[in-house]
Amino acid sequence: MVGVKEKISGLMDGELERFESAAALKALESGGEARETWRVYHLIGDSMRDTRMLTPGFADRVSAKLRDEPTVLAPAFAASRMLATPGARRWSALAASVAAAAFVGWVAFLPGDEPAPAPEVATVLPAPAAHVQQAADTLVAPPDTADDYLLAHQGYSPRNSLLGVAPYVRVSGDVEARGR
Amino acid sequence: MRRALGLLALAWAGFAQAQTPPDATTLLRKIYQATEKLSYTGIFVYTQGERSETSRITRAAGEGGGIERVEVLDGPRREIVRTRDSVRCYLPESHTVKVERNDQRAFPALLPERVAELERNYTIARGPHKRIAGFDCESVTLTPKDDLRYGYRLWADVASGMLLKAETFNRKGGTIDQFTFTQLNIGSVPRDRVRTREDARNWKIEDAAVTPANLAQAGWIVSGELPGFRKVTEVRRKLGESRPAGQVVYSDGLAALSVFIEPKAGRAEAVRPGLSTRGAFHIYTREVANHIVTVVGEAPAVSVQRVANTVVFRPPQ
Repeated sequence: MVGVKEKISGLMDGELERFESAAALKALESGGEARETWRVYHLIGDSMRDTRMLTPGFADRVSAKLRDEPTVLAPAFAASRMLATPGARRWSALAASVAAAAFVGWVAFLPGDEPAPAPEVATVLPAPAAHVQQAADTLVAPPDTADDYLLAHQGYSPRNSLLGVAPYVRVSGDVEARGR
Repeated sequence: MRRALGLLALAWAGFAQAQTPPDATTLLRKIYQATEKLSYTGIFVYTQGERSETSRITRAAGEGGGIERVEVLDGPRREIVRTRDSVRCYLPESHTVKVERNDQRAFPALLPERVAELERNYTIARGPHKRIAGFDCESVTLTPKDDLRYGYRLWADVASGMLLKAETFNRKGGTIDQFTFTQLNIGSVPRDRVRTREDARNWKIEDAAVTPANLAQAGWIVSGELPGFRKVTEVRRKLGESRPAGQVVYSDGLAALSVFIEPKAGRAEAVRPGLSTRGAFHIYTREVANHIVTVVGEAPAVSVQRVANTVVFRPPQ
């Protein structure tokens, strides 16, 4: 999935070798994800360049698309890529790193829960602040004293009461586990 | 005629709301009663992601509400003993006993009369039978009606109601964590089997010293309750060795979230604002008015974040 997006991004930046370009163009012809990626990246590009020729419903379509994407989890990385890339290429470099960061974020969230949904911030393209806002979803290391919080909390969970004292095994007591 | 149709529609809506099959709620009650009255000893495995850990659990039922003891058999030695009044966590490696006093006002049992409350937030249904650790088990599934909580699947022995397996799952049906018995004997247990084996006489004791409190009087406003959650208790307590903290607990009858508020001054360890996970828990930390606000819950990230972001400090007049 990331492969296709990177290829389209590379194609738009003229960064692909000839044989890769041919494959990417073929993928575009067949429609599907490649065509959709091409279309969305162009929309993002237009908006980043502040192009005013937007078709009706543009914002809705972009935000709908973004809603379907995993949450952006590394805005700092995305921002640095944007600054390091000269002029015309900036927008697609950003798009590609957004995709990569989203993938990394998804892995980082396994095996627990899906990241918090991002629709309320995804609706405000092209403001870069939208991505910065999502930094709240970046995972940090748990507090050094996480055990204390868990122990204090466990006793109040009705679901835990069904399991008796068993849920308390989740308080690790392992000094090494602290801060992990 | 139109009015009659309207009434019929209303009646139907009411009926559709209360569609939990009676035997599903009956099973929940049966499980709850079994946790209160049975004595047993067994081995269970806790699995979370790639991690799994084996423990021995022993429960002796009795007049005073029963005593339970868990010994963790994998990794660092740990022992937890729960009575009606307290939970003691024995940590031999650090020669520490952590003591939590049970707050009787907020006893979190899944009481039978709360089942109606559960139906507002979960769809409760019977699941297929399954054999677990030699016991024929019946199951009940609680599927959340929104993204603010996890779902639960419970398997209980048909004969006794003893819970043999409990699984937490997310919106996509993926397993968050689970407890499964691999061996279990139900029947009387001598009292000495639920006493700790640790000699903790010279250990450090960390007592939570929980007392009821009104944090609003001190200027703390935790207003934005999550849909379906209500405030269960509000206390002052100690965390770890001696950190004073306020704690407010919210629950939807099954899941719970705790909000901890502690002064930032005098904290030795680094504070990392933001979202973190620890096993099946989400933890969200932020700073408000020179205090650390930490929300902990076995709930999706969005729930702990939402609650944390409602915490406001207004200096008392």
